[in-house]
Amino acid sequence: MSRRQPRMTSSGQPIRHTPLGTKMWNYRGYYLMFVPVVLFVIIMHYWPMLGVRFAFYNYRAFGAKTFIGLEHFRTMFGEKGFWTAFKNTLELSIWKLLITTLTAVVASVFLNEMNQMFAKKTLQTVIYLPHFMSWAVVAGIFSMILSPNAANGMVNGMLQDMGLKTQMFLQDKTLWRPIFYIINIWKETGWGTIIFLATLSGVNPELYEAADIDGATRMQKIWYVTVPALANTIVVVLILNLAKVMNLFESVFVLYNSAVMDVSDVISTFIYAKAFAANPNYGYSTAVGLFKSLVGGALVLICNALSKKVRGRGII
Amino acid sequence: MKRKLIAAVLTAAMAMSLVACGGAKDAGNAGGGDAAPAPAGGSVDQASGEFNLDKVVLVINGTLTANLENRQDAFVEQWQDAVGVPLEIQQVDHSGYADAVGRKFVGGDRMDVILLSADMYAQYAPTGALWDMTEAFENAKFHDKIKYPAVNENLYRDGKLYGFAPAYGNGCVTYVKKAWLDNVGIDPSTIKTFDDYYAMLEAFRDGDPDGDGSTGNTFGTIAAGYISEEAPYINYLPEFWQDAYPAILQDENGKWYDGFQTDASKAAIQRLAKGVADKVIDPTTLTNGTKDARESWFSNNQTGSAGAFTYWAGTWYQTLTDNLTKNEVDPEIVELEPIQEVGAYINREAPVFCIVDDGDGDNTREQAIFDKFFETMMDGGEVEMLWLYGAKGVHWSVDADDGFTTNPGTENEKVYGPYEQGQFHLLPTPNDPNSVWKKNAIDPALVIVPLEGEYAEYSDESSLMSEGNKFFTSHMKDAPSTPASELFTTYSSDIATARSKAIAAVVVDGKNVDEAMADYVNEVGDKVTQICDDLNAKAESK
Repeated sequence: MSRRQPRMTSSGQPIRHTPLGTKMWNYRGYYLMFVPVVLFVIIMHYWPMLGVRFAFYNYRAFGAKTFIGLEHFRTMFGEKGFWTAFKNTLELSIWKLLITTLTAVVASVFLNEMNQMFAKKTLQTVIYLPHFMSWAVVAGIFSMILSPNAANGMVNGMLQDMGLKTQMFLQDKTLWRPIFYIINIWKETGWGTIIFLATLSGVNPELYEAADIDGATRMQKIWYVTVPALANTIVVVLILNLAKVMNLFESVFVLYNSAVMDVSDVISTFIYAKAFAANPNYGYSTAVGLFKSLVGGALVLICNALSKKVRGRGII
Repeated sequence: MKRKLIAAVLTAAMAMSLVACGGAKDAGNAGGGDAAPAPAGGSVDQASGEFNLDKVVLVINGTLTANLENRQDAFVEQWQDAVGVPLEIQQVDHSGYADAVGRKFVGGDRMDVILLSADMYAQYAPTGALWDMTEAFENAKFHDKIKYPAVNENLYRDGKLYGFAPAYGNGCVTYVKKAWLDNVGIDPSTIKTFDDYYAMLEAFRDGDPDGDGSTGNTFGTIAAGYISEEAPYINYLPEFWQDAYPAILQDENGKWYDGFQTDASKAAIQRLAKGVADKVIDPTTLTNGTKDARESWFSNNQTGSAGAFTYWAGTWYQTLTDNLTKNEVDPEIVELEPIQEVGAYINREAPVFCIVDDGDGDNTREQAIFDKFFETMMDGGEVEMLWLYGAKGVHWSVDADDGFTTNPGTENEKVYGPYEQGQFHLLPTPNDPNSVWKKNAIDPALVIVPLEGEYAEYSDESSLMSEGNKFFTSHMKDAPSTPASELFTTYSSDIATARSKAIAAVVVDGKNVDEAMADYVNEVGDKVTQICDDLNAKAESK
């Protein structure tokens, strides 16, 4: 009967195994400190998850809850509005992600090229600021700027002064999405540059010196040195944000209206409308929410797999 | 040792925060979800058998004008002194009121009395959330003093009354800026038909009604949406909707049908589309809330404003005038008589005060709330005055005083008073000394139980508010009843959204009205049919 060999360190010393109980006692201060954290997570994050069971119940504000199995899911999949919202969520989120990532990369590259520190810092501050505005304020600002009333709306006033046709920017189905992306670019590009600028600060200056020696122009240095240096970070940012595409809500909620609902209603606004209707069926809202979470969870797993493939390690 | 101490302190701090998060919830009485029927708010007196309320919790929207900025504390104090029960007011913004009430029900928050619009009443009445006050109402001391009994008779659902309307509904009338009419040379008395009305809007669009020296920067009219979110739906643009009523309603035989799918509604939507295309309707109308529309209309900068605005009668006649004055715009406005195609302005179904049923099967507590809240509200005296005009000495007075001056030192300066002892007069608004207080939660001109005794003389007949109410009551008709059924409650939100989408598709996108209507039917037609069938089946079974 062979005896189990003790595990050894690289220098050949046996690794001593301390029983778990002893370890916990030795570090009891930390474990004690950790207990409230565990309790907090359980109560605030896991306990509410028990609410997903209501996806299988007829659950209204009044009257008894009744188990109805998958009925809500059947209703949901048969509802045209749900599929419109689902499609809009994916389209809006993914395009928004691609566009804002691209603009953040471009802005980072240009900021990185700026030598005048005061101008660089000022510009950075200016483009960061919109990130700290709430979406309600942003919507108010752009609603005024883009007001279809040409006497009050700056953009339509200019169009009218130039003899052009005024536009209903936030009420027109063909214009709403481009405007939505532009507002997102304005609000989030600055913030998005932080991670790319951090990456660029770590690029070896010798690469630029070598490029100079090789006679590279400024644009060639950007294209052959800066952009490749950012490639890995771009992929990571895209992957990490892909997991969040189902969470689109606030930016849409404050900007949409009945005229553009077909191109703007997303899963979260769909749930909101169902949850705050008169005598809502919370079971149905929960079912849609559960579906959204499942899709979100699947996206996280896909992103994790992609991350492993691209970076050699996962994100979870 | 130091590290252990820090660990212990941090642990204690986090534990405390957890305890704080799980603080006890206020005793609720709404039957929501898992929430068990809450402990009743008070106790039964063993000797007399009467229920002693610990307090009355009132949930109300902006209808209560004595809000926190306008000395609500004085109103509450005087109410408590008169009634003998503490009053807790939970006032919620008008715009989010329906959502907030829904959340309170589900959250099990304590609500004793809630104010509900006609739509909300129709939605909540069949749910069992509201107390059946039929018997209490019919035996009420004020019952025989009601001068407009039809207001509450219309609130019965399947023979039961779940709410009480202390005033009739009121409605909207079309106001036009007098200076604008003068500038474009139109006499308001000549506006008799839709064509006349439309010509006036076009004149506002094409001329220089605001007198700023340039043309084409003004609109004919503005509204908060092409269709209102709550009944009576069409009251902000009645000239365009005319005889259409885009809701589920009954025909002359009592049969329920969808008024939105009628030719009248299609014609109305096409009129709206033409109005927007012709730029006589301010295009912001689609996304405007009531506040946006109002503020644009009486804005200090009249460029981009509109000449006509359909809004609430009575109090708002005064308020709109006050705001124009405050913004240094010519404050004279004309109330337009309804055009022939409209016939009469719509008197909405009255908002109602309801008692939330605690679901314990015992009516003692609810009856106590009725006695303390509703009986006193309609006492014809001290407490009714509180609901009509607010707190004595704060919002109104009968004491002798030298009066006051609004907008002193300006061209709009106006002197009020002096007043003799016993002479009823309203005082300056607490949060705006340049305007005179108008009313509290119930419009004195609309109240269904008149003041009595010494209070019967307490009224301000000289005000624009009073004039506006008289104008409205002489040009009004009642709105159709909102149906009450569980199916209607369930689907009403989806149907309202589909209607708004269909209207926007025609008005904004220029879609053919028949195609837009087909989309509407495709989206919610089944739901509408189910509701109508359900209502008709119920009507036939009676």
